[in-house]
Amino acid sequence: MRNRIFYLFLISCLPFVLAAQNCAWSISGTVLDADTGEPMAFANIQIKETNAGAIADANGRYEIANLCEGTYTLVCTRVGCNHEEHLIQLKSNVITDFKLQPEENTLEKVTITAAAVKPQSTQATETISGPELASTQGLNLGESLKRLPGVTILSTGATIAKPMIQGLHSNRILILNNGVRQEGQQWGSEHAPEIDPFIADKVSVIKGASSVRYGADAIGGVILVEPRALPTLKGMGGEVNLVGFTNGRTGVASGLLQGNMGGKLPLAGRIQGTLKKGGNLQTPDYFLNNTGVEEYDFSWAVGLKKERFSTELFYSRFETKLGIYRGSHIGNTTDLLNAIERERPSEDGVFSYEIGRPQQRISHELFKFSSAIETGDIGKLSLQLTRQFNHRREYDAHRAYNELPNQITQPSIEFEITTHTADLTWEHKPIQNLRGDIGISFLQQVNTTDRGALIPNYKNYNGSAFWIERWKKLESPLELEAGVRYDYRQLEVGRQGQDTINQDFNFSNVSGTVGAIYRFPKLVNLRFNVGTAWRAPHVSELYSDGVHHGSATYEKGDANLQPERALNTSLTAELDNKKNFDANLTLYYNVINNYIFLNPQATPQLTIRGAFPSFYYQQANARLMGLDWSANYKIVPNFTLESRISLLRGWNRTIEDDLVLMPSDRFQTGLKFNFNQEEKSPFIRLTMTNMLEQTRVPANTDYAAPPAAYTLFDLEAGATFYFHKQPFEVGLAVFNLLDEQYREYLNRFRYYADELGRNVSLRLKVPFGVK
Amino acid sequence: MQLKHIKLRRLCFAIILGSAIFLTTGCDNDNDNEPDNEQELITTVKLTFTPTAGIPITATAKDLDGDGGNAPTIQPVNLKANTDYTLAIEFSNESKSPAENITEEVKTESDEHLVCLVTTGASLPVPTIQDKDGNNQNLGLTSTFKTGVAGAGTLKVTLKHMPNKTGATPCSTGETDVEQTFNVTIAN
Repeated sequence: MRNRIFYLFLISCLPFVLAAQNCAWSISGTVLDADTGEPMAFANIQIKETNAGAIADANGRYEIANLCEGTYTLVCTRVGCNHEEHLIQLKSNVITDFKLQPEENTLEKVTITAAAVKPQSTQATETISGPELASTQGLNLGESLKRLPGVTILSTGATIAKPMIQGLHSNRILILNNGVRQEGQQWGSEHAPEIDPFIADKVSVIKGASSVRYGADAIGGVILVEPRALPTLKGMGGEVNLVGFTNGRTGVASGLLQGNMGGKLPLAGRIQGTLKKGGNLQTPDYFLNNTGVEEYDFSWAVGLKKERFSTELFYSRFETKLGIYRGSHIGNTTDLLNAIERERPSEDGVFSYEIGRPQQRISHELFKFSSAIETGDIGKLSLQLTRQFNHRREYDAHRAYNELPNQITQPSIEFEITTHTADLTWEHKPIQNLRGDIGISFLQQVNTTDRGALIPNYKNYNGSAFWIERWKKLESPLELEAGVRYDYRQLEVGRQGQDTINQDFNFSNVSGTVGAIYRFPKLVNLRFNVGTAWRAPHVSELYSDGVHHGSATYEKGDANLQPERALNTSLTAELDNKKNFDANLTLYYNVINNYIFLNPQATPQLTIRGAFPSFYYQQANARLMGLDWSANYKIVPNFTLESRISLLRGWNRTIEDDLVLMPSDRFQTGLKFNFNQEEKSPFIRLTMTNMLEQTRVPANTDYAAPPAAYTLFDLEAGATFYFHKQPFEVGLAVFNLLDEQYREYLNRFRYYADELGRNVSLRLKVPFGVK
Repeated sequence: MQLKHIKLRRLCFAIILGSAIFLTTGCDNDNDNEPDNEQELITTVKLTFTPTAGIPITATAKDLDGDGGNAPTIQPVNLKANTDYTLAIEFSNESKSPAENITEEVKTESDEHLVCLVTTGASLPVPTIQDKDGNNQNLGLTSTFKTGVAGAGTLKVTLKHMPNKTGATPCSTGETDVEQTFNVTIAN
């Protein structure tokens, strides 16, 4: 109902709007009068490095297109005004506005304001934005990232997907949603991130240990989900997205409306929402019963941006109800072995939108206040205060006997977790060529388990301080970075079910990072980083004691576990001949001491339901090393050959054996045809994905051998059409074009059913706006 | 015209802001911190072997502390050779006080349940199920068999939920709620 009201508003505001869409590889924006905020016509914008440039039009708008990846200094000048320089690190489309001061006001001071450009990471980073991000619309966050080299997904059936960075997932990676660490029940491998991907304008994946900047848990890496900045120009605009998928007969609608009031109080605002509904999904041969999904997401933001001061309020709410494949529900190991043996589920399933048991219902709320002040003399001070509330309810198919009728609708497992954070960061004024950040942050968290004694109640307090410095001289090819962080965590564990535990834990850690970027003239960039990260054991690892239904295993925690500590070394070489070839190669070597894993025990756990293999949480020293590769080669101007490779080896050094659940080697080869040379050219792309069989698995710890290798083909096409100057961006995609029947090792339901069959999707994006 | 547009835009803006704040209010946050632990549903399986003449013999398998902790304790079954027996199976949850009778629940939802019986040993034949569900398919709470000569064997009792009873192998479908194996001795 609420969403319906929201869409009503969207439609009611439609006629007032205007188009301001940008494609990748271009820099665009508007030149404004710093005093009045009004657009300033005919300013000259030039790139220092290449001398390419543009002249703003009568409305102050400019665009410099056909730019290659790199770092540029943009200079904006106009007769009778001061000039302004922006340092731009171009990896995707960039919008940057200039504010020029009429000369009569600034006779004394000629200010050169550097834009708040985030320093380029010395770690391997993948970014997805613009048309690439658009082509993943309608998919969940994990699935929209899985094409990036080094990124895979750990899934639980067809409805739950968690991103995995270089073999690590869940509590070993961090997700920052609009700058806030996502805090839900991310420890569970069937607990997907509670984020609406439509919120993002850009998603970046920082690969490797990154605790210094982002805090504890960032052992495998960080995913940054970044919404677009609030508009700084007077006016209103927005977009409507519609996506349909044949598999599951899924429909997604997402809308966004934003504007800026302009004038003396340039208050900006945005409202955004997404609706998703899908039914039972289909493999090449049969339907999967109870795999529907419903999602209702909503967010708003209000912000004010002045020259030296900015403040923003942001709220988002994510609600989902998702079915878990009925055929995966088993009672004991015999049932699991029966399921593996029969290869095809005993029931074929039918199409339905109904979501029965087992199911999950999750709601996640995020409230954020942020404010920054540019003092001029000492630098920039930023404050961020957040509150998150996550409510997870899981409805087991294995409902209790003798339930009273009114209890049948009650969940079997229910968690509530509330997290408050406060972050204060000081970006000091550059001291010669040194730029740096010093910050402190606090986190307070309360978790209650209302139903099901899976994990105990706990309170968690964190305090940390960090300091990062970056040295960069404008002409020097070398850029250096170093940082240090101290974290303290106090964990108070309350009770589990009827038992009172009352145990306090204190963990602390010092993390460090050093990195460098070296730019060889024109052709090659090298990035090198050595970083540490840590992770305190989660209460699920300390206190688990029970049968895990999805995997038919008995899991037992250990209250004496120590924090994991990782040392990650990575080297990235980027090559770009600026004509027809670019490539990116990352090599990494990640050593994790006290790596927590489930160690199989010799004697099974006997229960009234029969025997379950027993696993205890234990620690060992682990090593993950691998290679991520991506390259694009223009064979002829219209044809591009694309290649992405992810290789990974995980090893338990203590027991000298392979690590479980590591992604197998993946090779993706694509051929893209562009109809013309322009940036928004219509295109067709055919991608072939070869996933090898995972042959490196620990012996005698799994019921079934990893599935065989498989090859998938995906076909995509995209184009922008204009109707009375109104753009319509249309995309057509066919996933699993040949309807290949296969199973994937990293799907925890690989014992029960095949992966999805062919899925055709059609998407439409309509940006709109008024001047 | 220009002025009208600005007014409309302001109005629209106010509507958006207003609705945003309205839609943001409150998540129903019920903070009852009393965990409700429906952990073990069935703790006890009781077998009653009634001979055509004489005293019934009982044996139980119990796991009162749930999945972890201690393993279930299973009593041995001692039967007489060459005797006709009626086997009655009961399920209960003895972790609650008073104990819950789950046999009644199985009977009420007889269509969704099946007790599977598997034996080993030459003198222990597979019991013949006597009771039927609402669709006239086997249920398995009551069965009969005749023991052979003296010897030893095992009897595995499995309670299945949602099996495919009309399929070829109903006992390999559905999910297992109980699976216990009793040692059986048959003496003269």
